[in-house]
Amino acid sequence: MNESFRIAQKIGLMFLPNSPIPTDIKQWATQQLRSKSPALGIKSASSYKKPQVLEWPKSLQPSLQKRDEMFWAFKENKEKFRRNMPGFQSEADKSRNRQENLMEDLDALKFAHRNVYGEDQLRLRFSSFWANHFRTANIFDNGNHIGHAIDEAILANINSDFSNMLYKVTSHPSMLIYLDNTYSAGPNSNEAIWARSNGRQAGLNDNLGRELLELHTVSPSANYTEADINGAAKILAGWGAEPGRISGDNLISLSERNRKIKEIGGTLNSWDYYKTNYAEPGNKTVMGKTFGPGKDALRQLTDFLAVHEHTINHVTFKLAQHFVSDNPNQTDLDHISRIWRESNGNLDQIHTAVIELAIASKEPKFQWPMNWLFQVTRLSGANAFVGWEEEKNNDYNDNIMRTRKIFEELGQGFWLPGQPNGYSSDKAEWLSGEMFERRIRFATSLYNGGFPTQKVEDIMNRIGANNVTRELVGSVMGGRRKFVALMCSPEIMGLENA
Amino acid sequence: MPKFTRREFLQASGASLFLAGLPLPGFTKDKPPGTISVIMLEGGMDGLTAVPPFGDPNLFKMRKSLTPENYLKLNSFFGLHPSFKYFSGLLAKNNASVVHATNFPYTKRSHFEGQNLMQGGGLSPFAETTGWLGRALDLAKTPGRSMSLDMPLLLRGAHENDNFFPASIRNSGSLTTDLINMISNAHSEEGSSVFNKVSKKSTQKDSVVPRDPASLAKYAGKAMAMKNGPLSSVIKVDQFDTHASQGADEYGRHGERLAIVDDIIAGYKEGLGEAWDRSIILTLTEFGRTVKENGTWGTDHGWGSAALLAGGAITKSRVISKWPGLAERDLFENRDLVSTIDYRSVCAACIENALGLDHDLIAEKVFYTPKLPRVYDFIFS
Repeated sequence: MNESFRIAQKIGLMFLPNSPIPTDIKQWATQQLRSKSPALGIKSASSYKKPQVLEWPKSLQPSLQKRDEMFWAFKENKEKFRRNMPGFQSEADKSRNRQENLMEDLDALKFAHRNVYGEDQLRLRFSSFWANHFRTANIFDNGNHIGHAIDEAILANINSDFSNMLYKVTSHPSMLIYLDNTYSAGPNSNEAIWARSNGRQAGLNDNLGRELLELHTVSPSANYTEADINGAAKILAGWGAEPGRISGDNLISLSERNRKIKEIGGTLNSWDYYKTNYAEPGNKTVMGKTFGPGKDALRQLTDFLAVHEHTINHVTFKLAQHFVSDNPNQTDLDHISRIWRESNGNLDQIHTAVIELAIASKEPKFQWPMNWLFQVTRLSGANAFVGWEEEKNNDYNDNIMRTRKIFEELGQGFWLPGQPNGYSSDKAEWLSGEMFERRIRFATSLYNGGFPTQKVEDIMNRIGANNVTRELVGSVMGGRRKFVALMCSPEIMGLENA
Repeated sequence: MPKFTRREFLQASGASLFLAGLPLPGFTKDKPPGTISVIMLEGGMDGLTAVPPFGDPNLFKMRKSLTPENYLKLNSFFGLHPSFKYFSGLLAKNNASVVHATNFPYTKRSHFEGQNLMQGGGLSPFAETTGWLGRALDLAKTPGRSMSLDMPLLLRGAHENDNFFPASIRNSGSLTTDLINMISNAHSEEGSSVFNKVSKKSTQKDSVVPRDPASLAKYAGKAMAMKNGPLSSVIKVDQFDTHASQGADEYGRHGERLAIVDDIIAGYKEGLGEAWDRSIILTLTEFGRTVKENGTWGTDHGWGSAALLAGGAITKSRVISKWPGLAERDLFENRDLVSTIDYRSVCAACIENALGLDHDLIAEKVFYTPKLPRVYDFIFS
């Protein structure tokens, strides 16, 4: 592959068929970090005509408050189904409830569209890296929040600094719900005291406190103790709004729901929601540092953790392994962590250092299943995903699978259930017969149902395909086979450069 | 409920265990191998919910809303969760056992370190690039198969090991062997060896296999029952990490996961057919959960858990346990059930039984722990 495409593969998503190819790839790459782009996508993929790339409609990108209200309505309606109330009985009613109130499928499609049509490919790759680092998977009540967290807590802060992103993610409802913080109450909180004297239960849940230390910041290498985890959990107690119903046996109106939510947390904003009744009074200690009572302690904690040496080393390794090399060398790691320290965790500078090292290193990086799909879709000008109108109306044709199903089949996706450690960037985790078979099948499907606009020969010429790839493609007969062979070549999978 | 001293309990349950005995000679290679299957329970299975030790007076004190009322009494001390309907039948037929208060010697309560260690089977997390089952299969020169999209660390280490997870991709047709072979040839060893497996699969008749865990188990069982089929398989069940609203009975969050395990065991039994008699299935989880219920009707990360063993290789059902007690002073760091049986010993016994390897060899080459106690006779005698 020529240098431009080698870099676009390693740290980007490949150049779209009609986009110019930059001559100074390094300059282009660092400029990409600041290339602001709205969410781009297509309205419909059903026609044989190449769909026009447009901005995602605002109406399909509701505010966080609206998302909270929709999810509450979804759960309230489920209660109506349980009671077999009129209008809440048939399968059609059920699917309407999902369609009207759940955002996960549309959000997953928007993410896919951005990655397939976006002109800010490097930002998107870094955004996916952080979305994976701060994985908030779709378990139970999280479907309306993941997309918002990726767009607003991560992508919107990609030019910010690490401490800011860490705080914004930690306090985001997507994280608070996913890691069970919403109901966590300090052992000496008003809620816990009341519960104890009334034969009820309330107390601490240490899930988020633990993963905040283990995964998001210092990592086990810091040798923190259970007491540190407990301290973090106590600081976190009180954070998070109830995502679903809040009225026990009663059905209530939206205005009543909003009044209650406001009464409990003082605001309707679930991204800044702190229940003083659940808060643990007094000081807390985490890794030798003392934090005072109250809401501000969380920001102090995340700021403290963000600049911790073990955080810098841990996250530096993850960045380097994702973008530079499966086994990053110490010199590279030292370089990134030095920039991190010198810039006080400025993400633009950290990302720039990563980009420079990724370019300097000639090592190929095996591409994640989803990034590979985005890349081959971009290279070939095919449609891999439906348009937002089809997703919204549940209107699928024979050519393209449901968005959710695509990610399921890939074995990777931010809207699937999953563990908070995210997907590995180490190639060894992805070497499996079934995973490789999926690549053959997706390439076949893309050719058969995605109407690629680019010919195999033209793609090879454009990227400067190597001899192995050309010989492979030359050795098989027929358009489909040549297409599949190209997309599953070692070069396009990110296994070899030569 | 009658109170038991530990000694009384051990007598009552017939569950004495002596871990310091001299190793007995293992099977020789002449014995025809059996099959070994692992069900990985991701997130930390709650052994105290799965196999509630109702005879311990502290159980109900420590966890009000987590213990099913309708447990089945296994003996005067241990009960079985109502989700294990099929498994309870196997216990009655002397084809299953439970090991309780057991796990790998890992006490730091991280999912990811714990999962890595329970699969890698080395001396510390992230120390191994192969898994204990992979290494065992490599020693026995026999392949295994994972019923998953990825290749779990547990099975890595034997070159021929493969995985299976039925694809469902629109417009992708059937696999074309010669095309895959061409692609494979273009790759260097690393990619080529993986594509070769895809190629091999493409020559097999495509049967439509549903993807639910029970169907996968049935499929795995059938494959293992075939003359030249794999002798090992792995199935993973996720979402045992119930920090909130864990529930107690078969309709609770944890109970639903346990029912999946029960379905898997039933699927294996059906698929294995006559090969059941030479089979052993064991569960594996990174840790148990806190003895005390947390503030959100759930449990946090602990240490000791319970394990289920099933298969015709077992001829006498029992609860194998050296019960550490649930009183706060008996708990690890005042919060976790102590693991009194090193689960690596249980894994080693299952390998010994299924693959006909000598215990000392397994201890040294698979678990890198030459003095690993041998517990074979407590399970298979």
